[in-house]
Amino acid sequence: MDGAAVDTRLASAAPSRDGSGFFRRHGHLLLLAPGVIWMVLFLIVPLAMMVYVSFWTQTTFAIKPDLTLKSWATFFASETYFGALLRTLRIWLTVLLLTFLFGYPTALYIGQFVRNKTVQTILLVACVIPFWTSFLIRVLAWRPMLGKEGAINIVLQGLGIIDHPIEVLLFTELSVIIGMVQIYVVFMVGPVAFMLARIDDSLFEAARDLGASPMTIFRKITFPLSLPGVVVGAIFVSVMVLGEFATASALSGRKVNLLGNIIVTQVGSLKWAFAAVIGVVLTVVMATVITALLRVVNLRREL
Amino acid sequence: MNQNAAIRTLLALYTALFLAFLYGPFVVMAIISFQQGPEGGPQFPIIEWSTFWYKHVLGFAPPSRVAPLPIGEALTRSLTLAFATMVVSTVLGTLTAQAFRSQFKGSGFVFYLVVLGMMVPGVLLGLGMALVADQFGIDRNWWSTAFVLHVVYTYPFAFLVMLAIFNRFDKSIEEAAWTLGVPPGRTFRKVTFPMIFPGVLSAMLFAFTLSYDEFPRTLFTGGREVTMPIAIYGTFAVEIHPNLFAFGVLTTLFSFALLTIYGVLMSMSVRRARLRATGLQEDVA
Repeated sequence: MDGAAVDTRLASAAPSRDGSGFFRRHGHLLLLAPGVIWMVLFLIVPLAMMVYVSFWTQTTFAIKPDLTLKSWATFFASETYFGALLRTLRIWLTVLLLTFLFGYPTALYIGQFVRNKTVQTILLVACVIPFWTSFLIRVLAWRPMLGKEGAINIVLQGLGIIDHPIEVLLFTELSVIIGMVQIYVVFMVGPVAFMLARIDDSLFEAARDLGASPMTIFRKITFPLSLPGVVVGAIFVSVMVLGEFATASALSGRKVNLLGNIIVTQVGSLKWAFAAVIGVVLTVVMATVITALLRVVNLRREL
Repeated sequence: MNQNAAIRTLLALYTALFLAFLYGPFVVMAIISFQQGPEGGPQFPIIEWSTFWYKHVLGFAPPSRVAPLPIGEALTRSLTLAFATMVVSTVLGTLTAQAFRSQFKGSGFVFYLVVLGMMVPGVLLGLGMALVADQFGIDRNWWSTAFVLHVVYTYPFAFLVMLAIFNRFDKSIEEAAWTLGVPPGRTFRKVTFPMIFPGVLSAMLFAFTLSYDEFPRTLFTGGREVTMPIAIYGTFAVEIHPNLFAFGVLTTLFSFALLTIYGVLMSMSVRRARLRATGLQEDVA
């Protein structure tokens, strides 16, 4: 059937190919236009608007386009807001370090020690399955886990390890960190395991034949070659943790306020200019972090 | 060699612990969803096992002091939004990736512009869009301002998936079709599309699930009619009840169903591609 249709068209093929010369040369512009226009209108314009509004004048319930630095001055003068910036940085660094420490051994096991592709896939899928539950419900599920009468305290008391329930587990900075590590650690495991699985086995054999100890092999081969994965994982984790507010508000009982939480409160009370200032601060922090991480490894060359 | 085996065992044990850590809250959630209702709270101990909260979620439970989750409207909105986002971002992603198959000036700029969409934190984008809407007097609705941001978020994922698919794509097959005089439209329908279909499915799956669960972007731009994640976020401020956990278990099961459909479609497409290949060979012969 198809073959016959092709045959009849063969005759008329030559002229139509000449006519598509313009499309050949500039066709990619037509293909690109919808996506680029969409991104400029709904990504660049809003972000530019945020920077612009951060210099507007804030009155009680509205903003006026009279340029001023007042909102910026308030941000850096206020203990609450500047403190939130420092707290955000501290929690981000802690979570980043912990996701690396907890995630790396698992990635090492999946990527390097499991050589069966099926088992590898099963283990990675097992890591991803919790993501099929709604993010917010996953965060809330930590409450019955960490509470004074929560699962962890019940188990520890049942085992006789502790006499009294540990109370610092819930509604503290610690609970926010525990929750974030559990939610984001997989984003570190995935890229690292991927990079480790790509390492050629013969490299290890050669090193072993030359008498290198497992520790030397790890230091000289495994770790350097997995570094691009660590950087990609770190970018994922950083982007998500720096923009967080839901985990903090759910697990700290609104005691731990990150920059994201302050944006939400400010928008709630219609302090647009002020929310925009914090938004710009957050953007600058994020851009710095990503640029610094990309300095560590040249991703375009490595991937 | 012995040392190596010891390390392997240790790492295997660690990975098991790690998985337990990942699944811990999930297991606790499933247990608490069977808490007695409506008095039982979202904590241990379980007063009495019951399916009260499941009935509550599905609207069969007698009225009580716990307000029911807005399953009817909010869930319909979320699913509609996720579906629309899926269609638009997959189309955009495929078009852009198709353009990237040939070299062109400014490809680096376009690449980073698109990828920026998944890198910018939702709360910033939501804030920016809310500011634009506020200043230009645009009404904020889940189907307008929130929808465009959902696409900004999911379109980069679709684009990257399609880019990976096109990278592995053997161009000579399409060229063969062109040489035989098959018009571009027909070539796309008959040759290109069947080959990229698995990629399109993955892109759709990504877009749908990301949009369905999206919430920082929707929070500022969704307007008065809430989507499901916003409805759940609303309960943060007040008391939470085990009905949320029952809902979590149900949606997880729903996701598994979705994943199974995806798997079936995927294997069907692979089988059909194989059949088509043998069919074509017979045609040629």
